[in-house]
Amino acid sequence: MAFSVVLQKAFLLALLSLRAYQNEVFDEPIQLVPEVQNVSTSSKPQQVNLQWTVPNLAHHQELKMMLQIEISRIKTSNVIQVVNYTTTVKWNQVMHWNWKPDIPLECVKYFLRIRGMVDDDKFLLQSSWSNWSSWQEAHIPVSLEPNTVLVFPEDPLVEEGSNITICSVYGRNQHNVSCYLQEKPIPGEQLDSHVSIFNLNNVVFFRDTGTNFFCNSIDTKLEDGIVLFVSKVLEEPKNFSCETQDFKTLNCIWEPGVDTALAWKQQPPQNYTLFESFSGRRKLCNKSSCDWQITDDSQEIYNFTLIAKNYLRTRSVSVSFHLTHRVYLKAPHNVSLEIINTTKAHMTWKVHSRGNDYTLLCQIELLCEKEVIHEHNVSVHMSGDYLFNDLDPDTEYKASVRCADATHFWKWSNWAEKTFSTPEAAPSEALDVWRIVRSKNGSRIVTLFWKPLSKSRANGKILFYNIVAENQDKPAKSKHCSIPAPASDTQLTLDQSSYKLHITANNSVGMSPETILVLSRESGNQEVVEKRINGTKDGFLISWEPRSRDVISYIVDWCAHSQNQLCDLQWKNLGPNTTSTIISSDAFKPGVRYNFRIFEIPVQGPVYLVEKQTGYTQELAPLESPEVLTSNLTSHSFTLSWQGYASQFQAGFIQGYRVYLKSKEMHCHSGWDKVLLSDNSVCCNYDIKDPKQKIFTVENLRPESDYEFSVRSYTSVGENQNATFMMVTTPDEHSHMLLKTMLPMSLCVLLIMVVCYWKSQWVKETCYPDIPNPSKSSILSPIKYMQNPHLTIMNVKDCIPDVLEVINKAEGTKTLYTGAGKLHAENVTKLPPVPTEKDSCGPVPCIFFENFTYDQLAFDSDSHGHVPGPLKDILCQLGPLTPPKNLLNVLGNSNMKSLTGSPTEETSLIYVSQLASPTCGDKDSLTTNLPRPVHCSEYKMQMAVPPSLASPALSKNSDLSSMILLGKGEPG
Amino acid sequence: MKVLAAGVVPLLLVLHWKHGAASPLPITPVNATCATRHPCHGNLMNQIKNQLAQLNGSANALFISYYTAQGEPFPNNLDKLCGPNMTDFPPFHANGTEKAKLVELYRLVAYLGASLGNVTRDQKILNPNALSLHSKLNATTDTMRGLLSNVLCRLCNKYHVGHVDVTYGPDTAGKDAFQKKKLGCQLLGTYKQVISLVAQAF
Repeated sequence: MAFSVVLQKAFLLALLSLRAYQNEVFDEPIQLVPEVQNVSTSSKPQQVNLQWTVPNLAHHQELKMMLQIEISRIKTSNVIQVVNYTTTVKWNQVMHWNWKPDIPLECVKYFLRIRGMVDDDKFLLQSSWSNWSSWQEAHIPVSLEPNTVLVFPEDPLVEEGSNITICSVYGRNQHNVSCYLQEKPIPGEQLDSHVSIFNLNNVVFFRDTGTNFFCNSIDTKLEDGIVLFVSKVLEEPKNFSCETQDFKTLNCIWEPGVDTALAWKQQPPQNYTLFESFSGRRKLCNKSSCDWQITDDSQEIYNFTLIAKNYLRTRSVSVSFHLTHRVYLKAPHNVSLEIINTTKAHMTWKVHSRGNDYTLLCQIELLCEKEVIHEHNVSVHMSGDYLFNDLDPDTEYKASVRCADATHFWKWSNWAEKTFSTPEAAPSEALDVWRIVRSKNGSRIVTLFWKPLSKSRANGKILFYNIVAENQDKPAKSKHCSIPAPASDTQLTLDQSSYKLHITANNSVGMSPETILVLSRESGNQEVVEKRINGTKDGFLISWEPRSRDVISYIVDWCAHSQNQLCDLQWKNLGPNTTSTIISSDAFKPGVRYNFRIFEIPVQGPVYLVEKQTGYTQELAPLESPEVLTSNLTSHSFTLSWQGYASQFQAGFIQGYRVYLKSKEMHCHSGWDKVLLSDNSVCCNYDIKDPKQKIFTVENLRPESDYEFSVRSYTSVGENQNATFMMVTTPDEHSHMLLKTMLPMSLCVLLIMVVCYWKSQWVKETCYPDIPNPSKSSILSPIKYMQNPHLTIMNVKDCIPDVLEVINKAEGTKTLYTGAGKLHAENVTKLPPVPTEKDSCGPVPCIFFENFTYDQLAFDSDSHGHVPGPLKDILCQLGPLTPPKNLLNVLGNSNMKSLTGSPTEETSLIYVSQLASPTCGDKDSLTTNLPRPVHCSEYKMQMAVPPSLASPALSKNSDLSSMILLGKGEPG
Repeated sequence: MKVLAAGVVPLLLVLHWKHGAASPLPITPVNATCATRHPCHGNLMNQIKNQLAQLNGSANALFISYYTAQGEPFPNNLDKLCGPNMTDFPPFHANGTEKAKLVELYRLVAYLGASLGNVTRDQKILNPNALSLHSKLNATTDTMRGLLSNVLCRLCNKYHVGHVDVTYGPDTAGKDAFQKKKLGCQLLGTYKQVISLVAQAF
């Protein structure tokens, strides 16, 4: 209590002594009038700098003062701004104050004055304003000539969104001054007769090279301008944070925002400075990061301020933290993995820790095919380990681990990764197998299909598939085959025995559990009625009636490409209690028919076909039109047939066919409808509603008319649009009858002609032989007998030969009668061997005529005119003579031929039949007796001989009308 | 001294290839020695004509590229901002003797070369992304350098003229950005017109 009384007295004494000191020093008020030392101006940046002092301050005295500055424009009375501010003034110190004018200093004059007031606790007695200082002028003079236009300020720099005033100064001769920002006119405000100002509000950033502001005088076409540099607004750094990995360096990062740099060196990129308040250190940084060295290990708390600055603005952001709370660990190292077996692996790693006292949290991830399949967190100090279980064999994994401070979690370290693969194991699942059985030539063609094992079930690369066909009836006939992967089907040819098929998949380690298919003698492809179903885009709903209760499973199969010959068999295994399923597949296409078969796999017995179902996911109009054949064309009808049209491969269920018929009269009969086609043509339409009917007869047609027809199939969606019309013309009504009569007649005539031609030789020889043989002419004989029963053989004695030469060969003499005809004849009673051109013929014992040639010139020169009369007359003149019988035959044959073959007066060249021996080549039958000329006669070559080639005798005796050479070998 | 500022001096040093070449060159007295740094090409006049044709052919594209890069209002106010109304441009008389024409050509090319150096320097700062313009300016400057060398060779070899007084345009270093753009545009507008006359004169 006594101590407090003493303390109170001491405080009062001190207070009294202070008041006494104040009264002593400031007994009288002191005038503290600021005195302006200098007013300076700068054009770039536009600025007024006011320098002032307080002259009446005591030596080394410091005072806190409030100052007021008044600014006038153009004239002192036009005060535009009053600025108040507080500062501490010192004795003998020049104070500075800067001010940025709104209108450039080149365009207007400014006036400033200042006054002050002590605002210090030490000067309680004086609290009023001092007197004003004198007015000071602030202005930048420009040299302005009468014909000048100038624009100010030069190259101003402003921030986007701010306002700026640009002024134009012009000489006395300039009045109409217009200004533009880029090409946009800017309205101005005239301050006086020589100054206009242009206010640009909320300026926008155009480009970093500046925006042109341009003024010109309309009177004198003088111009000037400036480049306005608009800077983007400096943004506050975002996401500013600092962290350490090693407690030696703090790495601070942030997002800097837009770059505010401008070209023309108007403004460099903003700079960033990092300031730490506890240590007082400062560091200039990069644009988005800064490394801060930790120099004092004892400092645990840091308070950072990041300052971003450009010419126009300063932004700052601060962060304060404890060093241990900003630990960003380095990634774990020495990561290793030990493969224990096909499903287990052990991972170990080490961490960058400050010691065993620090607990770290580590996160472990196991990735398979870029997907995280396992994640776990563990606490560690210096190192950690983890055991991966339940891995898949033959699989590549990536194990990753990262760590963070467990006490003050800041962020995870980077991942440390290690890739490893587990070894292969035997396939773990039996193959899903199905089959197609076909019978062929008493054998069964079994096509097996199987689905490849999934990677998780294959446990390694499948190398081959083993198939064992075990013959249940004859075990010795079992088969085995191995199909190399990646095949997924194979074909077996089996007999009709029961078989058990064992199918396994094999990799390098072992085989899968076997799949067993039983093939009984019955194929399982029982005939069942096919049911139609309607599919949707999502697939087909298949349902069936179960046949028995003892079922292992049901299998629904179908071909993915039903229109192809090769069936890409698909199947679905279903449980025993299933009676419906939805079959969906991306391969299903609209307009394709899919046939489904539902099989029952019984516990005992063969596979049983339960149902067949067929349908479309979406029916379409038929794409193919029937190929139509026409037949039975009559004058009133014709028949169309399209038997080859495969309706089961169309884009929908064929519901029928439409027959279109076009004709000129366009009259549709009963049953036909008149329809308008898409091409606006009208035709008759007949609807065949039975899709199985593929033949149709078009009736009631008109003869000799043109008809166009088309047959189009249709489904529930519509009919085929690609069909084309074909033309058919009905024949004449009578042509049918004509055909019925004329054709047989023509055939008969033709037959007769063929027969006649075929028997012409016989007829000729019989009726009109070249050498008539009365004894053989059975046809003419009766006639002749009837006319003159006594005259059967021409009587030689009735003939008066003109010239006759008889050659008696046997006597070796030759009788030559030389007369007008010079006809050479030879007695051929006994002919010597006749050399001919054909050796095969050899000596010919027969009578033959050779080269009975008439010289053409001889005929031309009427050589035959020397013949006194017709040859028959000549022959008749031979009558008194009695030539040998052989010779008469010869003459008669040869000369009759020549006469009948040519009318001598008309024909210039006459060919005469020539008889040769029919026994040519048959030497054995040669005979010297010549009474049977007919049996051994034949026609030999006939030729026209030019005069030069005629025999000398003929040439010499050109008046000969004919020549008979008998025995060519004889020298003539 | 502004004339000899940073843009002109390096160019002159390059153009004249020797120490002290920045000073104006008077016409050499007839009996003065005339030496060139490199041997002159045999067919100088053809080379000069070809170089003039080359400059004439590229002048319009350079002019268009320039005023386009400056932005509005330059493209739409060519008569006001880029008119060929430069007062200090060296004269050229197409009807003079070859010697007189060569001397005037020398002055012209020296003037243009120095001014284009300034323009190139300014544009690289003012329009740093206008690479096509920079390329055209550099190509024109290079051609002028060769032309100046050839003209000097011709004057020296045939007319024994080793020095010619030259003048330079105003240095733009101290000007504001708009004035630099405008002066460059005026220079290139004038250049486009003059080079056409000069090319026809030879």
